[in-house]
Amino acid sequence: MPTIIIDGQEIKCRKGIPVLQAALDAGMNIPHYCYHPGLSVVASCRLCLMEMKMPHPQTRELGWDPKLFPACQTPVKRGMEVRFNSEKVRESQRHLMEYYLLNHPLDCPVCDKAGECNLQDYAEQFGSATSRMVEQKQKNPKKDIGPHTLLYSDRCVLCKRCIRFVAEITGTGEMAVVNRGSRNEIDVFPGMPLDNPLQGNVVDLCPVGALLDKSFLYKQRVWLLRTTKSVSPADSRGQTIFIDHNENGIHRIRPRYNERVNEWWISDEARFGWHHVQREERLDQPRVRNSDGLRPERWEELPQVLRQRMQTTLGEGGGSELALILSPMMSCEEAWLLAKHIREMAPEATLVLGHVPIVGEDRTFPKGFVIKAEKCPNRRGVETIIEHFGGNTSTWSDFLAQAVEGKFKAACVVGGYTEEWVTKEVAAALAKVELLVVHDLFPSALDETAAIQIPSATWAEREGTFMNCDGLIQPFERAIPPLEGVKADGQFFYELAGETGLYRAKKVREMMAAELPQFAEVFIPCDVPRHAH
Amino acid sequence: MRDEDVIELREPELSAAERLYLPQIWDGVKCTVRHMFSIKLRNETVRQYPEDSRDTRGEVRVANYRGVHRLNKDPDGRVACVACLMCATACPVNCIHIEAGESPWPDREKYPVKFDIDELRCIYCGMCEEACPVDAIELTPQHDLVGRTRDEMIFDKEKLLHIYEETKALKPRKNPAITGYG
Repeated sequence: MPTIIIDGQEIKCRKGIPVLQAALDAGMNIPHYCYHPGLSVVASCRLCLMEMKMPHPQTRELGWDPKLFPACQTPVKRGMEVRFNSEKVRESQRHLMEYYLLNHPLDCPVCDKAGECNLQDYAEQFGSATSRMVEQKQKNPKKDIGPHTLLYSDRCVLCKRCIRFVAEITGTGEMAVVNRGSRNEIDVFPGMPLDNPLQGNVVDLCPVGALLDKSFLYKQRVWLLRTTKSVSPADSRGQTIFIDHNENGIHRIRPRYNERVNEWWISDEARFGWHHVQREERLDQPRVRNSDGLRPERWEELPQVLRQRMQTTLGEGGGSELALILSPMMSCEEAWLLAKHIREMAPEATLVLGHVPIVGEDRTFPKGFVIKAEKCPNRRGVETIIEHFGGNTSTWSDFLAQAVEGKFKAACVVGGYTEEWVTKEVAAALAKVELLVVHDLFPSALDETAAIQIPSATWAEREGTFMNCDGLIQPFERAIPPLEGVKADGQFFYELAGETGLYRAKKVREMMAAELPQFAEVFIPCDVPRHAH
Repeated sequence: MRDEDVIELREPELSAAERLYLPQIWDGVKCTVRHMFSIKLRNETVRQYPEDSRDTRGEVRVANYRGVHRLNKDPDGRVACVACLMCATACPVNCIHIEAGESPWPDREKYPVKFDIDELRCIYCGMCEEACPVDAIELTPQHDLVGRTRDEMIFDKEKLLHIYEETKALKPRKNPAITGYG
């Protein structure tokens, strides 16, 4: 671990990293646009220029070099001394900020980036309040560059992060700089819109408001949003995300740095995969079938009704004719609570891992980002829990085959899938079950035969952990309250198991850890400070 | 939901005197009776409205009186608001609800699709007027607003623009600050 001196302060840093990264890691706020730890270094914005001590050509004596060096392109060396707090560096930053603001429109009040914009922050911290520019501003056009993204090139500072992203991380290379001099602008190649499956990241990468997300455009001001740490349910890799929300619901999803899974990026599936939360058709009250069809039931009565119906259908005995289908969309805590309760009620009940949605094949990008074909977050976690309980277990296809033969009198099916999942075969097999309890987000073909229908909550309305495809256990927090009339899955299972009070995933996880030691510890990636984007 | 978001509430225990309720009732009646029979207090606090109002006494200063809001129009007759939500951010009681959308005009990016002010919730502090970068929202000298339902007192964009038409003779729009390509 080399030690370097920044502004007179001794700093221990990792070997081979740029000085800028060492300074950012040490909590210093150094202005920079083009540098991003996930991309190659181009040293084009010149904002991170610093003074460095170099040996004098004749006397070999160490002294401050008259030239300024880019901190992002200078690797750390043992004993080196640099400074950012000198008048020379500050003057250079002031000049650069004036240059960046020459043609920049003064439209912060209507710009979606305002509040999290680096140009705004740096202009305030390192720039001056007035502009000496008297000529007409150069105004570059606004462009629609893809199905999800807009480019307002008048706001662009040409850091080229987006270009490096599409060249290095996705390898698709749709973007480039066109024209020359002050008419320099970013554009996509003709007939090549920005539509790769990771393209949403360019909006987060953009340090100013040049690249904008169409689905978030004009929707909210960023300072009105609250942020919750979550894990995306879009695929089995468990990409960590921030959910930005306020009282009107979710507004956008941003990547959360995770050194072991998705680094700085997320796939578009994860980014835009929250619209099902606001779909009109969502179930919003529990219903129980009596002589005149499915009728609304109160949540308080539900556990009692459920137990009664189970008893009449299964009679006394071990409950070998009962199947519990656990969905890979459930969190580990929910699956454990429900499986434990059902096994206590009916020790011979069959535990089944439900339908695992798989779309296409895994896709790996040049720098190693993987989009999984398995479009559910917790297949492995539910498998672990089923394995832990042992006894009668079955696979989804075997269960369907046995159900068609009428082996099961009762079945509790947990769904929670974001897309439609009930095929004709599934509906036909489950129609043979006498007492069908369906716990799902949306109405489906199962409603025709379901005896009890329970609405479930989406992942943003619940808390718990997902175990990703590599066995990494990551917690997610509740962002928004459940839809009116819906009880969060964990809370319902908690009450079903006879507990009272508020369901907290952490509390349940501690109970689980007694039986399943791997749940004693969860992986939470380190927080990256705001200035070190 | 973080740990700090969870608040456990318990009903406070009432003492024997509080459970009786009579001491509180006695205190209330005492206050009412005191005001009923004190002529000095009555003359100090009672005004004969509307015969004797601030308007007739000439106490309303048009330039800075903080009454009902209005939404100004620009010289082309369009709503001047650019839907930046600065007023909603500055509002200490969250009574301004704006839904922004892409503007139909080429010289402007955003405009308010919906602009509702809950006049019952508003405390008429004038922060919205201070925050507005284009001087679109202003408080007028109008103070006698009435309505029969709560819904009627939620003023929408049309109503706020209408108030501008009503009051622009009395209080013309100031020169707006420059934003955009200035």
